Amino acid sequence: MSTEVEGPGPTPGTTDAGRHAGGLGAYWEGISAVVALEVRQRLRSRGWYILLAIWVVVIGFVTALTWSSWKVQVQAQGDFGVVAPGAAGQAPGSLIFEIVLAFVLLFGLLVAPAFSANAVNGDRAGGTLAILQVTLLRPGQILWGKFLASWLAGLAFLVVSIPFLLFGFLQGGLGMGHILVALLMMAVELGVVCAIGVGISALASRPLFSIVVTYLVVAALGVGTLIAFGLGSLVSQGTVQANQAYYKNTYVQEGSGGSDPAPGYPEMPSGITDQNNDYACYGPLTEQQAVRSDRVAWLLGMNPFVVVADAIPYPDRSTQGSYSQGVFESISQGARYVQAGPDATYQCAGGKITPLYLGQKAPLWPLGLGLQLALTAGILALGWRALRTPAGRLPKGTRVA
Amino acid sequence: MARDLEAFNGLSAVGVSRRFGAVHAVAGMDLRAPAGEVTALIGPNGAGKTTLLLILASLLAPDTGTVRIMGVDPSKDPSAARARIGWMPDTLGVWDSLTAREILTLMGRFYRLPKAAIAGRVTELLDLVNLADLADQHARVLSRGQQQRLSLARALIHDPDVLLLDEPASGLDPGSRVALRHILRGLAAQGKAVVVSSHVLAELDEIADRAVFVNAGRSVLAQSVEQAAAQGRRYAISALDPATLPAELARLGVQFESGSGRRGSVTVMVGTERDSAQLLADLVRAGVAVTAFAPAAGALEETYMSMDVEQR
Repeated sequence: MSTEVEGPGPTPGTTDAGRHAGGLGAYWEGISAVVALEVRQRLRSRGWYILLAIWVVVIGFVTALTWSSWKVQVQAQGDFGVVAPGAAGQAPGSLIFEIVLAFVLLFGLLVAPAFSANAVNGDRAGGTLAILQVTLLRPGQILWGKFLASWLAGLAFLVVSIPFLLFGFLQGGLGMGHILVALLMMAVELGVVCAIGVGISALASRPLFSIVVTYLVVAALGVGTLIAFGLGSLVSQGTVQANQAYYKNTYVQEGSGGSDPAPGYPEMPSGITDQNNDYACYGPLTEQQAVRSDRVAWLLGMNPFVVVADAIPYPDRSTQGSYSQGVFESISQGARYVQAGPDATYQCAGGKITPLYLGQKAPLWPLGLGLQLALTAGILALGWRALRTPAGRLPKGTRVA
Repeated sequence: MARDLEAFNGLSAVGVSRRFGAVHAVAGMDLRAPAGEVTALIGPNGAGKTTLLLILASLLAPDTGTVRIMGVDPSKDPSAARARIGWMPDTLGVWDSLTAREILTLMGRFYRLPKAAIAGRVTELLDLVNLADLADQHARVLSRGQQQRLSLARALIHDPDVLLLDEPASGLDPGSRVALRHILRGLAAQGKAVVVSSHVLAELDEIADRAVFVNAGRSVLAQSVEQAAAQGRRYAISALDPATLPAELARLGVQFESGSGRRGSVTVMVGTERDSAQLLADLVRAGVAVTAFAPAAGALEETYMSMDVEQR
């Protein structure tokens, strides 16, 4: 060490101008400094690269497997001379894309807690959190910085899976908007999980505990919402006003209905309220038992897969009368059926024909994402309280430094 | 009394207490660290030194008591207090994968130093703590002592008025300790209030102007080094011929006990430094071949040992 002490160095916010100027800009500058600190540390840890490499290999494997299975299928159809409906024009793109998308989302939800849920208490254990807290950084800046850094790490996983999604896209069958929205929503979902992880890590004293709790929250969102929805439907029985359905193409056997109606197609009943090519609704409205799924649809809406699937824009098929195609579109349709409830989906509810395909008018994902964000904000707010200094109460078993 | 605190130039804490559950880590401590002086915080393990420093560093809120950093209440205006506090923790807490230069640069950003000034300030501090050669090495390859010096530089980055150092000397080699002493004296000469907690009592005499002794969560005694030196201390004396020394001491009527050292030295209690000079002169005049005549312990150590502290 040299022994002379230098003269006074630059003085930080000791002047009033330095402390109060800037506002939002100064706040952001602090956040970006924390992000710089965190990102630099991550980029220098070998584990992160190993995780990334494993990720690429797995996603590549899934893509290759999906593609070759489609090839085999097409070849088999060619051998038998059967051309499946629409197969001539149907590209493997949407199949590959959807399967890769589902895997990327699944794995993303699985890895995100690993690099977010020790962000704060890992530093606390290493004695470096107090170093940040004693500076002019505010608790919100520390929390935002750590969240953004872990989200960036999560987005890196999304970015390296883009080539595989693009491969699916190049195989045809999908619009660009489809892919962009899917990527955007997956980024949002990763952000939600990272924010929950960072918030929990500020609350729990031990990294292992907070990582496990974050995994449990992810499991609750991914699987728990399905179970809760299923159980919730069982207890939310209700009634719906509906009348009778009459199927037009039902051939009545001779003598089956007594002697009066002649064999062949029966006469149309009277009092028809609505009809299409297949059936008609007729008669007075009566109260009928139905599952009020609309009351518990919000549970399903919190599922990350539902949020992503429902946010992707699909072509309007209501005019073509065709069914939805692909896994994600089916998830989206299912979610909207559930949300519409028996009033819209029960046969002849309100004397109206039930549409085969629900339009894009009533998406479920804004509600689901909103609930997810509310949960996240709540956890982050608690985490922020735990980071405030001078600290009043400390979580049990923690040391400040 | 509050006005008195506001006006005090330096760091002051009055009646500070803090408990964790059932444990009263700090149960009524007073500390005054005037600007321009080095104040030592001395006490056994578990006495509450680190907790007190955390309270002073604005990281922990005290249950009772008041703290003023150059007149600023850290619980009311933490930012203003933190701009004036430099804190070096006892746990090193370095970011392993960053270089010393990166760590200091980031700290400069955390303290909102003007961007253009950061690089120069970092180089200045790296020179000060003699880490310039290792500036671009990852912190994990630094030795404990080097990390300790980096930690000191980190605490100084924003040129604080009050410096709180928790065991700064532990893990330092002798050369670095001497350098640390010079740095701390230099900072005090600049008018900063420096608080040092340490177990290494022998060298605190050289560094500190005053000391606060704490035990079992309470401040027991506050005294200046002059006061400590004036209260009498033991001297170890050895002579070429071990037989003549006790005989001469007995003749002079000085009480002594045989020392615990290897070379048959004896220990005597001497009231003041003037008395010790007189004793040495008497011995030499009597023809005793004195080979060593020195305080058996530092002045502060003497106080510490006489306090009969209990260890937790």
